[in-house]
Amino acid sequence: MMRVILEVKEQLKPNLPIEAECITPKNFLDPEREFHVWKGNKELDLTDIFHVRKDGNAKSAEQVEITIRGDSSHIKRVGEYMDGGKIIIEHDIGMHCGNFMSGGLIEIRGNADSWLGREMHGGKIICHGNAMDYAGSGYRGEKKGMRGGLIEIMGNAGDFAGETLAGGEIIIHGNAGDMPGVDIKDGRLTIMGDCSRPCGNMAGGECRVFGTAYDMLPTFRNEGPTTIDDVTVTRFSGDYTSRGLGTIYVVNCKYMD
Amino acid sequence: MQEIKDMVCPFCGCLCDDVTLEIENGEIVATDNCCAIGNAKFLGKNRLKNPIKKVDGKWVDITYDEAIDTAVDILLDADRPLLFGWSGTHGEAQCVGVHMNEILGGVIDSTTSVCHGPSILAIQEVGHPGCTLGQVKNRADLIIYWGCNPIEAHPRHMSRYTTYADGYFLDNAFRNRKVIVVDVRETETSNVADEFIRIKPGGDYAVLSSLRAILRGKGDMIPDSVAGVTKTQLIQVAEMCKTCKFGALFFGVGLTMAKGKYKNVRNAIEFVDDLNRHTKFTLTPMRGHWNVYGANEVMSWMTGYPYAVDFCRGVAFYNPGETTAVDILARKECDACMIVGSDPAAHFPHSCVEQLRDIPMIVIDPFQTMTTTLADLQIPVAVTGIDAEGTAYRMDGVPLKVKKAIDSDYPSDTEILTRIYDIMLEVKGL
Ligand code: SF4
Repeated sequence: MMRVILEVKEQLKPNLPIEAECITPKNFLDPEREFHVWKGNKELDLTDIFHVRKDGNAKSAEQVEITIRGDSSHIKRVGEYMDGGKIIIEHDIGMHCGNFMSGGLIEIRGNADSWLGREMHGGKIICHGNAMDYAGSGYRGEKKGMRGGLIEIMGNAGDFAGETLAGGEIIIHGNAGDMPGVDIKDGRLTIMGDCSRPCGNMAGGECRVFGTAYDMLPTFRNEGPTTIDDVTVTRFSGDYTSRGLGTIYVVNCKYMD
Repeated sequence: MQEIKDMVCPFCGCLCDDVTLEIENGEIVATDNCCAIGNAKFLGKNRLKNPIKKVDGKWVDITYDEAIDTAVDILLDADRPLLFGWSGTHGEAQCVGVHMNEILGGVIDSTTSVCHGPSILAIQEVGHPGCTLGQVKNRADLIIYWGCNPIEAHPRHMSRYTTYADGYFLDNAFRNRKVIVVDVRETETSNVADEFIRIKPGGDYAVLSSLRAILRGKGDMIPDSVAGVTKTQLIQVAEMCKTCKFGALFFGVGLTMAKGKYKNVRNAIEFVDDLNRHTKFTLTPMRGHWNVYGANEVMSWMTGYPYAVDFCRGVAFYNPGETTAVDILARKECDACMIVGSDPAAHFPHSCVEQLRDIPMIVIDPFQTMTTTLADLQIPVAVTGIDAEGTAYRMDGVPLKVKKAIDSDYPSDTEILTRIYDIMLEVKGL
């Protein structure tokens, strides 16, 4: 088992974003590897940004556990293309955490910035705080967002959560913002709280809203009541702007009439 | 007195190219064919005489040489410079800006990100069924203005291209061309419409979805009223669109900046796509600044991306919401800024303006603006279309040569930017 502790150093110009896609468990297997990060237009060594401590040995990514301490809210792309092992982030994390991840676990004890788990394929992300916009979504112009794995957000999510969702599962325990699951194709999006305008242009997949869906879109057909885990919900099919192959279950909904 | 014909108006995205200017003693004294806002620009005063620099909180006059050296120092010192504006200058200057951004490792963004950025995001998702304004003028028998008020913002749009224009392939265009206006409030434009659809704020997406469902014969589930619009009117409008010969949908920031932003535009594009199964229909964003479209063209052909291009790591990266000027400024993610031909202090949210105040800022602009008050350095330049010339793109993507009317001692944007760029190359040994 290898434990890596990365403690963020005090920064000059602390608001400038840092891109650190080199932080994945697999990369720490190679003792010779150099770790470069970018702060603005300057390429730096990992040790310019973090106090790095490494204990133990590992043969595979699964045996590596990385802990990020201190203010990491401006550090982007942590865990990008991660395929196994574990990353624990003790506070907030910057944008694009877990981009394209295919295996392993990322646990965020604070909040996550936008594009959490963008186009993720597998593995698991747990965010104990809130996630900003575009959790589990796709890149600009991309047809498919998240395709597999699980994102679980214990707090609230911002707008466009699960935009172009194409597989896997997103569970939001708090509220979601506007347009969760817009252009969803497949996969499952669960919102325990409220949201507005879920699943515009839905082409497939499933969305469950256990709170109130405000400004429910008029192009979903009410298919009557049913139950999920003893909770009475209304089933809708849609979106009839396209072929109506998706399903939304909502406990309450309100239209903008 | 001298009269010059067929000049291009450098104010709005219509780029009217039939303006007549009257020149007396090397100054423009009157205009003809121009609308009131274009006229005000041609006759504009308030130009800064020479470069100014803020020293201990006070403005001092400096020479162009000093100004250029100061600009170079500020930009080369930065770890994440932001080069913003660009919609108020010509394409040649925009090219120099992109080159400069590449060697600086900065972020270059145009005012697109606060007007039609969402339109471009939507176009990147589902394409752009567009056409030139000439096609609209000569063929379209149905015009939709969605979330825009051309009578105020593009005053000659209706007389040159739509409602009041003759159409080569239309009989009695003025009478037979129908106009639909969609907006959240009554406007001067809605008052002259054949059909006015008044939507509750934030209801655009639902209304577009409903129209699409009706077109597909799935209108049965649509409730009697959608975001303030009756089902009867929705059915009637869908029918008007389906049965026209050539429809043209124009839309403005009322759609792009309403809740849902680019997904509204995507829905509008898909509505137009659906209509193309029945008839010919096109869509055109009503671009505001005269050369904001040019900024998108230049950045696209040089970097692959139309705006918000981040070169910090030496290669182009694009992600509106992350690399757009408003987001960078609000999050305080830049440490120097250069503004070219734009006035962000007048339009940006408070948090962004604060950041502009707190970091070194260079302004390249002919006029004193709100942004001047926050700057550390301003370099005055010639005005394209008055005493400088260059290329600009009309809102439908047609490039036009913007000529100059008079000579002056002011350098053009291209000259100033090239001088800054050349010194940077020298310092960097490139
Ligand atoms: S409509 Fe626009 S381009 Fe035409 S004259 Fe008026 S401001 Fe100038």
